[in-house]
Amino acid sequence: MFSRLVNPKSIAVVGASHNPTKIGYVVLKNLVSHNFKGKVYPVNPKGGEILGYRVYKNVEDLPEVDLAVITLPAELTVKVFEDVAKKAKFIIPIAGGFGETGKKGKEMEKYMLEKAREHDARIIGPNTVGIYIPSTGVNTALVVPERSRFPGNGDIAFVTQSGALGLLTMDSVSMYNVGFSAFINLGNRVDVNENELLEYFGKDDMSRAIIMYIESFKDGKEFMKIASRVTRKKPVVVLKAGRTSRGGKAASLHTGALGGNDAVADGAFKQVGVIRAYDEVELVDYARALAYGKPIMGDRIAVVTSAGGVGVVTTDYIESEEHGIGMKMASLDEKTKRTIKEEVVPFASVENPIDMTAQASDDDYDGVLEALQSDPNVDAILVYALFQTPLISEKLVDIITKWHRNGSKPIVVGSIGSDFAMKMAAKFEENKVPVYMSIERAVKAIKVLRIRGKYIERWENE
Amino acid sequence: MNEYEAKLMLKKYGVDVPNGYVASSIDDLKNMNLNYPIVAKVLSDNILHKSDVGGVILNITTLEEAREAFEKINGKFSTPVLFEEMVNGNVETIIGVIKDPTFGHAIMFGLGGIYTEVYRDVTFRVIPINRRDAEDMIQDIRGKKILEGYRGKKVNREAIISLLTSISKLVEENPDIEGIDLNPVLLTEDKAIVLDAKIIKS
Repeated sequence: MFSRLVNPKSIAVVGASHNPTKIGYVVLKNLVSHNFKGKVYPVNPKGGEILGYRVYKNVEDLPEVDLAVITLPAELTVKVFEDVAKKAKFIIPIAGGFGETGKKGKEMEKYMLEKAREHDARIIGPNTVGIYIPSTGVNTALVVPERSRFPGNGDIAFVTQSGALGLLTMDSVSMYNVGFSAFINLGNRVDVNENELLEYFGKDDMSRAIIMYIESFKDGKEFMKIASRVTRKKPVVVLKAGRTSRGGKAASLHTGALGGNDAVADGAFKQVGVIRAYDEVELVDYARALAYGKPIMGDRIAVVTSAGGVGVVTTDYIESEEHGIGMKMASLDEKTKRTIKEEVVPFASVENPIDMTAQASDDDYDGVLEALQSDPNVDAILVYALFQTPLISEKLVDIITKWHRNGSKPIVVGSIGSDFAMKMAAKFEENKVPVYMSIERAVKAIKVLRIRGKYIERWENE
Repeated sequence: MNEYEAKLMLKKYGVDVPNGYVASSIDDLKNMNLNYPIVAKVLSDNILHKSDVGGVILNITTLEEAREAFEKINGKFSTPVLFEEMVNGNVETIIGVIKDPTFGHAIMFGLGGIYTEVYRDVTFRVIPINRRDAEDMIQDIRGKKILEGYRGKKVNREAIISLLTSISKLVEENPDIEGIDLNPVLLTEDKAIVLDAKIIKS
């Protein structure tokens, strides 16, 4: 349904500009710098040429296109809209100044929707930064390229009601080379909504996890219906923000006072297998764990570290209900302990957490991870890749990646450090190993894989 | 819908409520056939917080006391009076229904009394719920230990599950319901009994 939106053969930019600070220029520049392979048709009454593209003087002259981006102000957008709708399958009106400003803006939205329906076109927005599809190079977002990064291609589909928060999130995770299959900003959501996109990305093989930033659902019941189908195939993480005040007849009841909209949303997510995030960091952290990792089918975690304190703090986080995830440290099998003690690291503590101390080498990690694979008391492994000691090298990334790919136990990697550690984290990320730059984030990734595991258990029993 | 009507509706869905009798006049009390001790409550669509306004009299042990209670309540509110057998139990819970603007009808479960008032230890699910949702709701409660027979106070988990799914069904079949408060729901060793019920229709 949306394949021509994420992979258009042709894009018209209505309101193309010669001025490099204008969105009408930036969109064209984005298409050039992201190697968009399809046809590009700028439209501007002045004509001429922008960035090597021939400029059309008016919309009527355009051939039919898959996607039209309108970079004009609201009033002008409305003026050209019907002509654009005759030519394009998908239309992204970028401008603000519509429904979010009041009644007049709402009427303009209504008009656009009517015209779109009439000519069989779909609208993303308005009041949107638009879309960014790394694999096809479609990018309609206005940011200063020198001060922000766009992520590369990857496994995560991102649907957001807030364009700015979406772009900021992608910029911040670009630091670890996290990739996305698609980014779509719903904007004022006059036409295309989160439910249709959830359905589409649920079937999209490029997207292994779907993340959403939602302030208000277009249709909560429909969301539940679609989500309960999609979550059985792939994980869905939702950052639900904003609360609505309640009123009406039932407000005099006790239950009315206890139930904010948020508490109901929380229950709805649990019913349909959606995982909830509470900020932009969790949103992407959870998506990476779920897209790359295996679901955890029990509560018992083995922790492998070369730093004692890291193991102790992790133990607290794993076991505590109050400041932690309320899971269990695995009691290692005697055979595992013997193997580790006799064959791998005689100097290590073979209780869980397994602390190999600063004497640990890459090979020691390899041996311990191997020994844990067959331990019947271990449901998942949290391994710390700490690169600050002399016997640890970049090779550790390959060793952990190997066990992540070929081992039987789900693995989450924790790391702590600055430039070098971040460089290694990016390598883990390229290998699609879930890695986290703090103890708390690593432990929370464990929790999320456990929640996914519980959902799967539930579906298997149904 | 007054409390008695609400409870009749609940009974139709297999929900346990105390044996009750409505008296409109003092003469009606002759025909009352309840086991003492009983409780008397003002019966009105409009009074939502009965005990706050003196509309509830507990621990009535004789017909004579029942007559006094009737006169007191009827004299004050000019309404019929609902008499009900008193029930002892181990744990108080609350069950409710709201109509959420986004998701529609949603059912709430929580521990009653201070746990609800102070800790807001409640959880919601969107209606309809299945058995597994009901089980999850019990697991969601922070004070769930209290529902696991804490200090020998035994409760019947099955009774809670069946009550939650019955309320879900009731709302599904009566979509004009705007809200429900079942507070408290008393858990005994084998039952979940709705002591007070308010059902609001649109």
